Parts: sequence; C-alpha cells; structure tokens
Amino acid sequence: MITSLEMSRRGFLKASGLAAGGLVLAFQLPLIVRQARGASPSGGTLNAFLTLDPEGRVTFFSPFIEGGQGVYTALPQIIADELDVAFETISVEQAPAGEAYKIMFGGTQRFTGGSMSVRSSYTAMRQAGAAARQMLLQAAADRWEVPIGELDTQPGRVVHAASERSIGYGELAEAAGALEPPTDPPLKDPSRFRYIGKPIQRNDSTAKANGSAQFAIDVRLPNMAYAAVKQSPVLGGDVASMDEAAIADRPGVISVERLPGAVAVIADTYWHAQSALDALPVEFENAAAAGLNSEQLAEEMQGRVDEAGMTAESHGDVEAAFLDAERVIEAVYQMPFLAHATMEPMNATADVTAERCEAWVPNQGVDVVVQQIAEITGLSADNITVHTPYIGGFYGRRFITDYGQQAVRLSKAAGRPVQLIWSREQDTQHDYFRPMVTLKHRAAIDAEGKVSGWHVTVVGDGPFKRLMPQFMQDGIDSSALEGVTEQPYTIANRRVDWVSHDYPVKIGFWRSVGHSYNGYVTESFIDEMAEATATDPLEFRRQLLGEAPRYLNVLDSVAEMAGYQPSVQEENGRRSAYGIALHLSFGSIVGEVAKVSIEEGRPRVHKVWCAVDCGSMVNPDTIEAQIQSGISTGLSQTLLEEITIENGEVVQKNFDTYRFLPPSLMPDVEVQIIESGAEMGGIGEVGTPPVAPAVASAVYKLTGQRIRRLPMARHDLTASA
Amino acid sequence: MMVTLTVNGTQHSLDTEPDTPLLWVLRDQLNLTGTKYGCGIAQCGACTVHVGGQAMRSCVTPLSAVQNQEVITIEGLSDDGLSHPLQVAWREIDVPQCGYCQSGQIMAAAALLASNPNPTEEDIASSVNNLCRCGTYLRINKAILQAAEARGQHKNQTQGEAS
Ligand code: FES
Ligand code: FES
Repeated sequence: MITSLEMSRRGFLKASGLAAGGLVLAFQLPLIVRQARGASPSGGTLNAFLTLDPEGRVTFFSPFIEGGQGVYTALPQIIADELDVAFETISVEQAPAGEAYKIMFGGTQRFTGGSMSVRSSYTAMRQAGAAARQMLLQAAADRWEVPIGELDTQPGRVVHAASERSIGYGELAEAAGALEPPTDPPLKDPSRFRYIGKPIQRNDSTAKANGSAQFAIDVRLPNMAYAAVKQSPVLGGDVASMDEAAIADRPGVISVERLPGAVAVIADTYWHAQSALDALPVEFENAAAAGLNSEQLAEEMQGRVDEAGMTAESHGDVEAAFLDAERVIEAVYQMPFLAHATMEPMNATADVTAERCEAWVPNQGVDVVVQQIAEITGLSADNITVHTPYIGGFYGRRFITDYGQQAVRLSKAAGRPVQLIWSREQDTQHDYFRPMVTLKHRAAIDAEGKVSGWHVTVVGDGPFKRLMPQFMQDGIDSSALEGVTEQPYTIANRRVDWVSHDYPVKIGFWRSVGHSYNGYVTESFIDEMAEATATDPLEFRRQLLGEAPRYLNVLDSVAEMAGYQPSVQEENGRRSAYGIALHLSFGSIVGEVAKVSIEEGRPRVHKVWCAVDCGSMVNPDTIEAQIQSGISTGLSQTLLEEITIENGEVVQKNFDTYRFLPPSLMPDVEVQIIESGAEMGGIGEVGTPPVAPAVASAVYKLTGQRIRRLPMARHDLTASA
Repeated sequence: MMVTLTVNGTQHSLDTEPDTPLLWVLRDQLNLTGTKYGCGIAQCGACTVHVGGQAMRSCVTPLSAVQNQEVITIEGLSDDGLSHPLQVAWREIDVPQCGYCQSGQIMAAAALLASNPNPTEEDIASSVNNLCRCGTYLRINKAILQAAEARGQHKNQTQGEAS
C-alpha cells in the first residue's frame, strides 16, 4: 500500500509538472475509491484530488473540465463540506491525464459529458473530503496523545474541547500526509451540510468579468507562432495542389504546411496567417461528400422508414395491436444537422520538442488527447503534458480534438510553439454535427378509443456508431435512440426499431445527443395520440402515467406552476397558448410549459416554466443557470438552427447564416427544483429536450399546424394564425 | 505605416498594416486577450471594446480607424478589475457560464450605461445584442439593471454629500 501510494504520488507530481515548479507540497491526500469494480475484492484505485499546504490552503484537482456548467464550484462545495474547510480556501486546478483520475464507471473512465460530472463523482468527492479530514483528526490525536474520538473539527481546524486546544489544518499537513488513508471514512450527516444543496456563488465569475480568465486561445508562449487552417470545403477531401509561392512574400508568413485533408499557414500573428491563407491558391480532391445534398439525403432516409430495421426495445405484441386496431395514426418527422457553434472556436496550442510536448487543447477527455499526441510525436505519455484551461463552451464538440492533432503536427513541423485557431468559417463547416435523423411514429387506437400500440422507427446513425463503437450494445446505437426508448407511458404494446443510415458527413455529440430530437418527436407524437383520442395533451399524459408517479409529480408541478390552460387564451387582442412536454434524460425528469403566441408568422415564446426532478442537488443556483442555458439551446434548435449541405459543401459558414438564439428571443424562465430523493440526475443537458415539443404543442393549438420538421423558421405560420 | 493609439491609458506606436483588425492587434501584439474572437464579421460582439467611449466591434475595426484614439478594453474597464458596477453585478448575480462572450457583453453594457445611466429593458435589448451560446441572457439583463441602480444610488449619495 505504501509503495503504491509513493509511486502514485511521484507519478502525480511528475504528471502535473509541480515537482519542478518549486511548490512545496506538504502532502497529498490520497483517496481510496470504493466504487464497485465488478466483483473484484481487491477493490479500487488510488487517487489524488487534494493537496494541503502549511498555510492551510487546499488545492483541488478536478477530473472534470469547467466550460460554464459550474463544476469547479460544485465539486469544491462537496469537498468543503466533508473536509470541513471554508469553501473560499479551496482553489481548483485541472487534474492532469492519468489513471488516478479515472473515477467514472468503476474507475475506468474520465470524461466531461453526459451531464455526469457531479452525479458520477458525488460519492467519491465526499469520500475524498472525509478521508482527508479523518487523517487530519488522526494526526492531531497523535500529536496531543488523546483518543481520536475526543476530537472534532471546525472549518480549517481540529479542536479538542476537553483541553480547549485547537490547531490549524496547515500545521497538521505534513504529519497527516504520512498516514495511511482510511478506507471507510465516516461521511457527514446530510442535515449538517453547510455547502451541499446551497446556492454557493461561482468561483470564476470575477475572472470572467474582467478578462483575466484564461482560455486555450489566450495562451501566449515565448517564440510562439500562429496558424490558420483550411480544410476541404467539399467535406472529406484531400489537398490536390497549392501554390505556396503566391503567398511567400506576404507579411509575417513563416511557412505553409500540409495536414491530412487541410493546409495551414504559420505566421507571426493570427491575422497574418489567416489573411495569407485566404489568398493561397489551393485545390482539393477525392472528397467523400462530393455531390451530397442534405435535402436529397433527407429524402433517402424518409424512403427507409418502413424498413424492418433492428429492434432496440419491445414490449407486448405490437403487430397484434396494429392488426386489431380500429384506427392507425402515423407521422414522419425530419430533423436537421446542427452545429455546436461554441463561442470559443476550435483552437489549440502546442509546443513540441524532440524530448517532450506541452499542449493546451480544449477537450472533454484529456487521456485520449495524450494518446493521440503520443501517436503523432512518438513521445511516451510521460513526456506529454496536456492543459485544459477554461473552455469557451463545449456541448459535446470537444470530445473530438481534431484541432489539437493539427496544432501538434504544426508545432512539430515548425519546430516552435504554435497556436492554431480555426476561423469561425472553419469551425462551422467542419463541425461534428448533430446527426440528421428521420423518424416514423405509428399508433394503434383500439375500439374503445385507447392507444393500444406504438411503433417507432428511427432512421439514421448516432455518434456512438461512428466515434465510440465500444458503446454499441448488441449492434444497436443507443445514442441514436435514447429518449424514445424507456418511455414512462403505459402503452402495453410498443416497439422501437433502428435503421442505420450512413452518410459521409461527420456527426458527433450535441447537447443532449439523441434526446435533442427524440424528446421533440416523441412528445409531439404523444400530442398527436392525445388528439386522436380527443384528449387534452396534459390530461392524456396524466392518464398514461399511472405507473410512473415521479413523472406524474413533475408534470403536475409544472402545469400548476405555469397555470397551464388547455385552450387558446385571448389577452388584449393577443392570442397565446400553453404547450406542455415531459422528458427524462441523463437521470433527471423535466417538465416544461411554454407560453407562445404567433408574431409575423413566427412563434414568439414568452415564458418557459420548468420543473426538474434531479433526485438531489448540490447547487440550486447552478441548476437554475443550467436550466436557463438548456432552454436557450432547446429554443434555439426549435426556432432557428439548421446546417444544410449542397454539393458536398456546408452552406452555413458563420453566425450570419448559422443563426442561434439571440437575446431578443430569450423567453423568461422559471425553474422549480424537485428533490425527490431518487438517485442524483444530471443537469447540464436536461433542460434542452422538452422545449421543442412544448413550443410545438402551443403552435399547434394556435395554428392547427403540426410542425414535423425543425427548425420552425422553415415554416410560415402567418396564414394559419 | 506607424499607427499611434492609446489603449487603456497607455500609448502605443505600432508598425502594422493599417487594415489589420483592432481585435488582432489587441490580442496578438498587445497581449490583451480579454477581448475575444467569435465570428470576425460583426455578428456576435465577443470582440466589443470602447473607442472614444463608443462600443465598437473590434474584429471589423481596422487599425487605421483608431489612429490617435482612446481604446478601452475589458482589462481597462476598472482599475482593479473588480469595481465597475457591472463587474460587481456580474459577480453577485453569477452571470457567466463558459465566460467566453462575457467581456464583450460587459463592454457593450458599459457603453450603454455611460450614455444612458437608467436604461429600460427595451434600451438594453436595442443596444446589448451580443450573442451568448450558453444562454446567459436573462442574467445579463438582470445584472445591467442592478448595476444601473447601484450606480444611481452611488451618484445620489455623492451628490448628497456635495450639497
Ligand atoms: S468577433 Fe467581432 S462581432 Fe464576433
Ligand atoms: S457565457 Fe458562454 S457564450 Fe456566453
């Protein structure tokens, strides 16, 4: 045990680059993660999340990145409670790559995504704090030669009431660090939480309000050059030829480099690099997407909705339900490609030498980045350091770090540090898009007018199949189907089938992934079923939620909060309507009501009410912020967003044509958090899926138009309003 | 060509092509990285700075246009980076999420407050139209109103003392 602890400590110091920095680390508090790893009795992995210096300052090494979701605040809240220190004494650093920080899925994974950071590490963080506190208590007991049971802590101090002595944590740091970490430290009684569950203020607002917050794009190194890149406009092409001489004399140009599928110009400033690149004559060839049109692709996919496909989920006897049906309703929905449009464009900075590589790569999973750099450079992982500063938005895009690989290749070629920035045009065209998907829903209505069967066919691939095939289950891509499978509604006979459809356009994870379209389509079709049975959407859902009390509670809560009305309202000559939707994603059940009117042929969303049952929570203020954020994304895809492709080239290139929600369209938002005591759910993505169906439900009431293709900007609702 | 300008009170003479966007001069030559690149075509506002007290999108402002002008960036908004009423409100309300758009948001809001100390929600809507992909719009509005109110109170106090 001691040996492995020592090794882990040395490995950690080296990996984090602290040893050379002269910082005195009094000790590190290791943690034994007791998450079950199968049935293995030998248990867990040693981890190092916390350091304490002699002044009592705590540094927390976060395994998760901060990209706005508030994890750099939430995790220290948990630590502060269990370690018993003031929240303000904890500073946060991004943990380096390495096995020690793989704390998800039984110690096998580390990534930031799937709305998993807080819920996947909640117990581990509590244990980390509690183990450290226990070691400090033991160190004080040893020093004072009193039984540990007589000691208690106050924030940052161990106290011995009987002798009226107390001592700061910092003074105990070294002695505590020499102790064996406890395997089963006692956790605090939740009734005594000082930080968990409270609206603690973020620790990054000041830096983000005065320009000092550092993003990867802000890295400045001695002798650093800047690079701009151009990838094949027709997707998936190679460089055929270019005329480097044509730009050789332009100011600041250092070199022109070829990369896989791209050319890059390296110069003394980004502007010199980008403007020279814009002037570089370059031809591409062999484009995988040559001739591809997204409209045609949609038609192809629509042509496959009646294929048998692979069955992902089946209950009862769907065939029999449809044979016995009195009536059948069906609808085909079409969902577009979407871009992430993170405000900080893709960028990375790399400094590659013969011996080592240091890189700043915005990412959602640092270990993969290290591995890729090792492959490109031939360096061993020990000699590669990847930093992940604050990230200017990720939403799933930064799982794929193609830009990081490019920066490393460029630095290697140039023999100096290089910062690569994708222009917004590159960022938009060469995204890993939210997949285009076609869905067909059918419902069987029996002689009593009840829904007796429900059959769904999803045509289109999800990101697992393309990017992480290890997550395919029995040949099924759950990332394409999540949100239509596992429905709470009591419909005895139902089935979900999947028809894989490949196309030469890169796809990836987009905020709420499969839920981003399945939430919309499933809940809209529930409305279609309600209409077929002449029931109000709210009442129809209530009738089908008899076996799902948690869902019913969320639904009723949001309806009550919004003052939901089934019929169109008339106020001061303005017609408005309420639409409602309910959706489980990432472990949280979310109900939303949207109040909508039609202005100039477009839906105008005035307010969205949201009830979220996330089981339990760490920071209600962050939850409110994330729900507001998720709703803005959901409304954005409802109203505006769409990537189209013509002749293999992405049509939208910048924010003038790839429009996302501007402030003028942001509705008022009211959030109610329900702590049902169920297992903790996610927050970062869960506000997004119910927005579109809630808005569409209201639009249907107002216009009689059932919108089955997003965004709504495609539809003129004037005539029907 | 030499271009002379003042940034956050410091005068600089730069030998740079005059059509270079101010954004990249600030970021790459003066290492003032608080001003951000988002789109480069005046669509998002991440690059907003003040030129002669007016909010400008520096990505489409050529260096030649700021010859002999006073430029203020987010780094120069307050002496300590903390005390501008907008910075106070931003912190109290916890406006930022990823934070990338926020320098521009604050600079746009600061220009508004300088010319209109008591803006209505409509005034805010018409002059602070910067994009935020994290959707922090509701808190931005709230913070601008709070900052305006705090400033108003502060002014009343100082006036009260003077009289
Ligand atoms: S970067 Fe200037 S407006 Fe977007
Ligand atoms: S806070 Fe992330 S883009 Fe505005």
